[in-house]
Amino acid sequence: MKIDQTLPLEYSTEQNRLNILGFWIFLGAEIALFGTLFASYFTLVNRTGSGPTAAEIFEIMPVIIETVLLLISSFTIGLGIHAMRLGRKRAMLIFFGSTLLLGLSFLAVEIYDFIVYIHEGATLQTSGFTAILFTLLGTHGAHIIFGLFWGLLIMYQIIKNGLTPETTNKAFIFSLYWHFLDVIWIFIFSFVFLKGMM
Amino acid sequence: MNFFDRFAVPNPSITIYASMIAIALTVIAIIAGLTYFKKWQYVWSEWLTTVDHKRIGIMYLISALIMLFRGGADAIMMRAQTAVPDNTLLGAKEYNEIFTTHGVVMIIFMAMAFIMALMNFAIPLQIGARDVAFPRLNALSYWLYFFGAMLFNISFVIGGSPDSGWSSYFPLAGTDFSQSVGTNYYMLALQISGLGTLLTGINFITTILKMRAPGMTLMKMPMFVWSALVTNFIIVFAFPVLTVALAMGTMDRLFGTNFFTTENGGMDMLWANLFWVWGHPEVYILILPAFGIYSEIISTFARRNLYGYKSMVISMVAISLLSFLVWVHHFFTMGQGALVNSIFSVTTMVIAVPTGIKIFNWLFTLRKGKIEFTVPMLYTLGFIPIFTIGGVTGVMLAMASADYQYHNTMFLVAHFHLVIIPGVVFAMIAGLTYWWPKMFGFMLNERIGKWAFWFIAIGVCVTFFPMFISGLNGQARRMYTYSESTGFGIWNMISFVGALGLLVGFILIVYNIYYSTRYSPRNIPGDPWDARSLEWATPTPVPEYNFAVIPHVDSSEAFWDYKKKGYQLFRDPVQSIHMPNNSGLPIIIGAGFFVWGFAFVFGIWPVVILSTLFIFGCLAYRSLEKDHGHYIPVSDIEIDEQGGSVQ
Amino acid sequence: MRALFPLKQVMGLICSLTLTAAALTVYFFDLSFEAGSSVLLITAFLQAIIQLTVFMHAGEGEDKKIIYTGIYYGAFVALVTVFGSLLALVWGYY
Repeated sequence: MKIDQTLPLEYSTEQNRLNILGFWIFLGAEIALFGTLFASYFTLVNRTGSGPTAAEIFEIMPVIIETVLLLISSFTIGLGIHAMRLGRKRAMLIFFGSTLLLGLSFLAVEIYDFIVYIHEGATLQTSGFTAILFTLLGTHGAHIIFGLFWGLLIMYQIIKNGLTPETTNKAFIFSLYWHFLDVIWIFIFSFVFLKGMM
Repeated sequence: MNFFDRFAVPNPSITIYASMIAIALTVIAIIAGLTYFKKWQYVWSEWLTTVDHKRIGIMYLISALIMLFRGGADAIMMRAQTAVPDNTLLGAKEYNEIFTTHGVVMIIFMAMAFIMALMNFAIPLQIGARDVAFPRLNALSYWLYFFGAMLFNISFVIGGSPDSGWSSYFPLAGTDFSQSVGTNYYMLALQISGLGTLLTGINFITTILKMRAPGMTLMKMPMFVWSALVTNFIIVFAFPVLTVALAMGTMDRLFGTNFFTTENGGMDMLWANLFWVWGHPEVYILILPAFGIYSEIISTFARRNLYGYKSMVISMVAISLLSFLVWVHHFFTMGQGALVNSIFSVTTMVIAVPTGIKIFNWLFTLRKGKIEFTVPMLYTLGFIPIFTIGGVTGVMLAMASADYQYHNTMFLVAHFHLVIIPGVVFAMIAGLTYWWPKMFGFMLNERIGKWAFWFIAIGVCVTFFPMFISGLNGQARRMYTYSESTGFGIWNMISFVGALGLLVGFILIVYNIYYSTRYSPRNIPGDPWDARSLEWATPTPVPEYNFAVIPHVDSSEAFWDYKKKGYQLFRDPVQSIHMPNNSGLPIIIGAGFFVWGFAFVFGIWPVVILSTLFIFGCLAYRSLEKDHGHYIPVSDIEIDEQGGSVQ
Repeated sequence: MRALFPLKQVMGLICSLTLTAAALTVYFFDLSFEAGSSVLLITAFLQAIIQLTVFMHAGEGEDKKIIYTGIYYGAFVALVTVFGSLLALVWGYY
């Protein structure tokens, strides 16, 4: 396998460059996926039937906490990739570990949110609005859950195999995924929660 | 309902029981045959686990042909039922199931598979690459498509076929009106094969953008490669919309949500909206590769460079963007206001412009060409006038106010069949005939091929032209019968006769494959058509690694200029070649998805959870697996090249 | 230790947090619908740009053009879907 020494490890082989580009294109598809969910959300947001409206169930504090947690996790994984490029494996693992912990906390708050909604009479089946609300948040949340397991698997491989062209490539792609989830959350935060409470 | 009752077919008939027996016998015959001839090892290690794009292409091809006959059988049954007034051949429910499965099978499992087949086979060869960017993902795409198709096709013997139309509009497709599991099958089968298509899209964009032979700039790519690139972009951005719509439909049916219901704030129109946000780009996903194939065939058999290369590329890019801006024309009559309909009327007419440009480019390429009337060329020449008729009736339908008259009539059915059949089916048969010698090492018989062409071309016109008239007279689509006083009888009878002509044509194609397999000479050169692009620079049969030496490209007609102008293609010495290893994982993951989908259809949740875990387990296994592929040493390569290479 | 915290990324985090705070004004102050929506649109898209350029290194490799084409195409489809659906099903529906 040809390794180009002038590039960071994650870009160093032809296959690595293909993987990264392929993943970017996948993220393009994810934009369309979440775009469709947002389109459905905006269409259904006022169709609450006999159930509660957005303004009645949203609370600002949990949402702010979730946003800050996810923003910081996006920062720490960025630092993780930076440490990886410096070849500092231990620092990188610490940053990746913190990212996953932050992601887990985010998830805990989101589950708390869901429980609150259900207690206030907004279940998945209540109305068109609650169905798309849970689906939009749930799709993002499911991505986070998948990311947690994926991240663990990558940390395991880095501990076991060190920083190789393969492991760094996987770690870099994972970081792209995680940042992307942060971008999606920003849009949920702005156009679902803040707009709903405006 | 009793647990096992759900697996029974809701409206059984003799034909369904006969099919069950036929399916059982076929499965037994395949298993017994493979065991008797001791071919399990061969099939498993050479085909089922292959990551070679050429073999995956051939597997897509076989699947597409089988699906063509499944969908064709549905079509014949529909034409037979409506051939005479008040016919009792089929009941209303059976007719509903048949037109639904006809549409889904033909669009999703036949046409899509056919373009995947030809893209898989030809694209890496045309850009001078040894495989696609992600060979294993490519195999996974195929198996997801395959198991999605299987899941859809078992519906009619286990639990009942979907029966709410290929567009599956809610609330008809909701649990109130579609009580059998048929629509669940629709949702899950399309979800699984759609995932496969999305992965193909990502794979081919990466392949085309990153793995072209040195010197092949974007504007030197063969036109089929350009069309595939644009198509795959549309795939990547359109299929996620379908994914979401299907997920929401599944939740409505299985979890009691209110996305598309008519109560508690649900909005049934949202389904139609999302379906066509995907559905219209899907039309262009089917047609653009066909345009690419026609471009290749026209320049090959007119012996001229393609006229207006740049404008061809610009038109396709324009179409790819415009295709996302027209979807509302599928439901002009749904109740949105005049402003909305006007906007989408205009965008729809605008999209006819780049398509028209392409037609003129082909005509200008033909002008002063030395046209050779081979079978692929006949289909291409037949395509231009028939497609134009289909196209201009599309512009008629684009006028929102007039569409109130045409909507949901046979006029519409005539329009889209006259676009899709010459557009896609002709192109697929043409492409199949054109690339057949590269795939299998012998030519298809031209004489039988020409007979098949005339039956199909005339059959299409005879089948669908009468529908324009009966449609304008008011015959609605999807009606299983009509009374004699309507006067539709004569038109439908003509249609039926045309459909029989089509049937004869397709049987001739199968006969041609059989005949040519037996009698066609095997000593053909690598370039039997005297063609122009790089796939013909390989020896036949094409070795696993495609090119012993990666070619250098200096013009848009690389192989032609190599033959005629003395450009050098192969300049580097032979080196050992790195190739990916075969893997059983893609088919295993595909099978996991099949179990997942089946359990989901019937709401057997423990199995759903287990199969989900199994699929993720396979992904984790893949991540931890150490597999760096293998090298083919120089000595092996040179032995291969002593065959029929043109070098 | 300082090498592990590059200025660019620290500034990126500060910018994101600031933009989040700016977006929160629509909750804590009584803005009109138009003003509030404009604030949200601007802050959300700026945040997305920060993530893409600062954290995701979208523009650093040889494939910069392809990556941006993909993102623009995705954004185009997402916006068309959102506004087209709203137009057909809500705003333009009588």
